[in-house]
Amino acid sequence: MLRHRILVVGVAAILLTGVAGVFGLRHGGGQVVDDGPAAAAAPADRLGAAITVAQQRLHTVPGDYVTWAELGSAYIEKARVSADPSYYPKAEGALRRSLQLRPHDNATALIGLGALANARHDFAHARDLAEQALDIDSYSADAYGVLADAHTQLGHPAAATEAVQHMLDLRPGLPAYARASYDLEQHGRLDEAAALMRRALDAAIDPADIAFCRYQLGELAWQQGRFDEASTEYRAGLDADASYLPLLDGQARLAAAEGRTSEAVTDYANLTARYPSPGYLIEYADLLTASGQPDQARAQLGLASAGLALFTANGGTDDLGAAQLALSENKPAQAVAAAKREWSRRHFADVADTLAWALHQAGSDREALTYAKRATSSGARSASYLFHLGSIEDSLGRTGDARRDLAAALALNPQFSPRYAPVAAAALARLGAR
Amino acid sequence: MTTRMVRRLASIGVIALAAVLILVALPARPAAAHPLGNFSVNEAIALDLYPQRVEVAAVIDLAELPTLQERSAVDRDGDGTVSAAESMTYNQRICAELDAALSVRTGGHRLTLTDRPAGFEYRPGSAGLQTSRISCAFGAATNLGDSATIAVSNDYRADRIGWREMVAVGHGVHIVNSPLPARSPSDALQSYPTDLLGSPLHQTSAQLRVEPGDGPATSGAAATTATGNPLTRWVAGADRTLEHMVGGHLTPIVGLLAVLLALLLGAAHAALPGHGKTVMAAYLAGRQGRPRDAVTVGATVTLTHTGGVLLLGLLLTTAASLAGERVLGWLGIASGLLVAGVGVAMLTSALRHRRHGALHQHDHEHSHSHGHDHHHHDHSAPHQGHRHGHSHHDEREAHHPHRSTGGRRLSLVGMGIAGGLVPSPSALVVLLGAIGLGRTGFGILLVLAYGIGMAGMLTAAGLLLIRLRDRWTRRSPRVLNRLGRLAPAATAALVLCVGIGLAGRAAFGVV
Repeated sequence: MLRHRILVVGVAAILLTGVAGVFGLRHGGGQVVDDGPAAAAAPADRLGAAITVAQQRLHTVPGDYVTWAELGSAYIEKARVSADPSYYPKAEGALRRSLQLRPHDNATALIGLGALANARHDFAHARDLAEQALDIDSYSADAYGVLADAHTQLGHPAAATEAVQHMLDLRPGLPAYARASYDLEQHGRLDEAAALMRRALDAAIDPADIAFCRYQLGELAWQQGRFDEASTEYRAGLDADASYLPLLDGQARLAAAEGRTSEAVTDYANLTARYPSPGYLIEYADLLTASGQPDQARAQLGLASAGLALFTANGGTDDLGAAQLALSENKPAQAVAAAKREWSRRHFADVADTLAWALHQAGSDREALTYAKRATSSGARSASYLFHLGSIEDSLGRTGDARRDLAAALALNPQFSPRYAPVAAAALARLGAR
Repeated sequence: MTTRMVRRLASIGVIALAAVLILVALPARPAAAHPLGNFSVNEAIALDLYPQRVEVAAVIDLAELPTLQERSAVDRDGDGTVSAAESMTYNQRICAELDAALSVRTGGHRLTLTDRPAGFEYRPGSAGLQTSRISCAFGAATNLGDSATIAVSNDYRADRIGWREMVAVGHGVHIVNSPLPARSPSDALQSYPTDLLGSPLHQTSAQLRVEPGDGPATSGAAATTATGNPLTRWVAGADRTLEHMVGGHLTPIVGLLAVLLALLLGAAHAALPGHGKTVMAAYLAGRQGRPRDAVTVGATVTLTHTGGVLLLGLLLTTAASLAGERVLGWLGIASGLLVAGVGVAMLTSALRHRRHGALHQHDHEHSHSHGHDHHHHDHSAPHQGHRHGHSHHDEREAHHPHRSTGGRRLSLVGMGIAGGLVPSPSALVVLLGAIGLGRTGFGILLVLAYGIGMAGMLTAAGLLLIRLRDRWTRRSPRVLNRLGRLAPAATAALVLCVGIGLAGRAAFGVV
């Protein structure tokens, strides 16, 4: 009798709860598909929905460390996609809360903090965090993604390739394809890189993902001087997501390369008004210098300098950016000092190239040659690297090498820089192109 | 400078630069970076609605880099200082631009706003740089005396990253279900909220409906729940303590304390209003409940609550798209309807009882009086004895011939399910927290303790009522007897009303 009654009660409770659950499910809205924290590009709309659901859930379940970690990673994605940096402190807060609730065996939070460290250019810390996460969960594709990004920037190409391979094995998809494509690009295998990025594009559904892939394809075409193809890709990207700012940068650079200078100036003015990052401002200043507007160029460099000052005043370190700014401002000694500081932290090809060019500007061509060769021997095929190498060889009187490398630079992309492409052409003419 | 290097900087670290500025700035530094980023353009629009006019106070907060970008537009003669005239000109220019981008429509007609510069100042920012704070005041005559709709949209520098807020207050007009708060969440862009569970505001448009009426705007956003009740406050504090215990280092002592606290919390949860205890009490009193019945209800509550919380916990951990509050709302409706159902059953039975009452009553008195007469033949006061005995019989056993035991049990069980169906949110939180920490077994134990605590409190309340009722019966049987005849219908009606009320309240929260 008692058993019978308990059974009745149990069945009734389960039925009623189930019914209520179904109602709650139907009205709860928001499909939640978790793409993982290191997704190459998550869509603004779906991402926004995921953030809302996670926020609501944490209001009711504040002790759910997994959702805290996922929310933190979603905030990082949101910051990246929307270019709104106010999500970063929120991301850090959410990830720290997750780690506070679950200090051990919390791989998700460590991966999020690793992604955050990469975004902050603290690549060594990002690598450590990714490795800690992998100690806990050796099957995490996202942890390998963070690890790959960190190793690439630290100048460990072999370790980066290995991490990308793990990621491809564990979860082939857009984030893995995009990283594999970048890895191939670093090794100078541009056609394979483009092919893989096309696969990533096929896997992309959401506007922001499509814009990301189109931008990368445009960049690969641009690097090889295929301007029409680059233009097509940039435009297709903007058709998908008009708010993806790097595409505007690509278009501005293209306009400058094709001699549409006033259009390029307008494009850069719009871009930097919306997003005055030092990188864009330096590009803009180079164009203004090349088109004979030194006062305007100086104003943009002043802004870039303020941006970097803000960065440093708040404890950040970006000596690569500082070196590039100093070069644009014709302050070679400062550029050398900054580039050497960055080189002491990481041996990435871009750092070697910047240091080489700074040393060349400062007159230390012999030392510069070592770094320039290091940059080009990394495998990356870049017109700028080759131009720097050729210029240094020219200064050292190695005419044959200089002719070969300057010609290679212009063959790869005849308009690689509005400021330096004409310099390269003039030098080559002087050396007597064959 | 080569494009290649710059491109890398741009493509990899587009946002990263800005990010670090903020991340590092967060721990209280004297000259912290702009909380929303050094690139941000932040705007606040405050609407004041009067019967005859609309007034708009707008504030724009430019972070360090936009301020620097605008510097040449402020310092027009380029002498490095900003004169009062230059400051005024700039303030006017910005307000005119904002006026063009700000649209206020009443009844589909766009109002022509008069704009007035209301202030421009530099404020110290990070790295020795400045931020700008620009204020404007707009106004327009219109008629909001009758019912009207107002549509506001702000497109000023819509492509710039930053905070966008809108607030609205009615003065002499009433804003119906205002979608906007009445108070600025950022104190007019002076202190941005740092809530981890809130996204930066991006309110660039709103639709308002106003009605004639006085008083401040009603605003859902500004409403807060005041928890003045000491019991409620204690329970909230204990909830937090328990959640903390579940997440912290777990020793046997801590575990035992957590279980005891869960028991207490369960009891407190049952003692808080809104759990149909009144109904249960009325039921027990009205249906001539026995101590056994109170225990049945208590046991049912424990079972239902424990099962419900476990099932809901399972659902919530497996389906992230499930909104917990909605499920609780629907469970609340189910619980209320169940109570109402029991009420209906009681009412029909009571009415039937009443209709056949005379006949049954007669039968009873007949058989009983025979029996009593037979046994107590030589009593000095047979009538009194008889009556006394009869009234006891009527209370305790009179139902058996008229109502099936099954139906009666079903009602009791129904009451128990209704009482345990709506899971205590704190039990749910504790369970989900425990599952999240890989301490599922401990979580289940705590939930069980919750249920037992609840059942203990409800059973104790039931027993207390039965005891009270019995004492009353002994003291004034005559009154009670008369009341007792009325009671079934009245308590049934009460149960029905409370059930409908509970369901309605829950439905209000869900729909």
